[in-house]
Amino acid sequence: MADDQSFDLAGCLDRVRQRDQAAARELVEHLHPLVIRIVRSHLPRRVAEEDLSQEIFMKMFTRIGQYQGAVPFPHWVSRIAVTTCIDHLRAQKRRPEFRWADLSENEAEVLDSVMTNENDVAANDSFAAHELVGKLLDQLKPDDRLVIQMLDLEQKTIAEICALTGWNTSLVKVRAFRARRKLRKLFEELKRKERS
Amino acid sequence: MNLSDPHHPWSRLSAGARRHVDERGVAAPYGFATRVAALAMATERARVSLFERFSLRAMGVACLLLLGSLAANYSAISNAFAEEPLVPGDPVAELLDGSSS
Repeated sequence: MADDQSFDLAGCLDRVRQRDQAAARELVEHLHPLVIRIVRSHLPRRVAEEDLSQEIFMKMFTRIGQYQGAVPFPHWVSRIAVTTCIDHLRAQKRRPEFRWADLSENEAEVLDSVMTNENDVAANDSFAAHELVGKLLDQLKPDDRLVIQMLDLEQKTIAEICALTGWNTSLVKVRAFRARRKLRKLFEELKRKERS
Repeated sequence: MNLSDPHHPWSRLSAGARRHVDERGVAAPYGFATRVAALAMATERARVSLFERFSLRAMGVACLLLLGSLAANYSAISNAFAEEPLVPGDPVAELLDGSSS
């Protein structure tokens, strides 16, 4: 597990560099929770999470010689995971159109509720809200989607997003602004159509 | 209405989505770590062995080319090492000959 304090990461990395397969297996098991959480947050459509996490680990092993220790190893791996997810999201040229008709009954109710009254989403509707947010985020450009997801859902700071993506502060802010503008337009459009 | 306004539908929707707890396990599926580790180590080995094989072959080809070019140009090479006779009437040769004596 990624939060296991007893795991000797430095020792394990040394053994991996000496091409010790058992150490490589231990490293994958140790980092899997971290990687799978990132993959699940930014999983593109029609991509299996296991395939994507395997790709991330393969990149990690290929580049392990380049790791200088300037940042903690899990941060370094997180960055590989995030950039791999962005590459996959960018590869998806087409974004599905958001339509009321494609929503499940529960999702449509939640959307209707947040648009017509001022109440918060009920606790038992959190899954529908989660799915709905995913569908709305699918309307954004991959980079903008990633920024808004990290800011509004994962509640990361701009500095954390910069560290994970390698983008500068202004770029992150511009992408957040662009994403919010697009979402605002989308909500205005949805309000006009409102379950027609 | 601003999207960061807590009353905006997006803010309430994203707050609702944040409450969703993903109950799926985060541990690596059975055999995943073994497969990935084996693949990673095999790729590494394959890359090294491919380089070794090609480097040995390249060295062999280079040696053959060296021998071939030596054989083809044997007379030219042996003449180059032989002492060149003085060409009569060559001013440079006469000058060098005069300065050495």
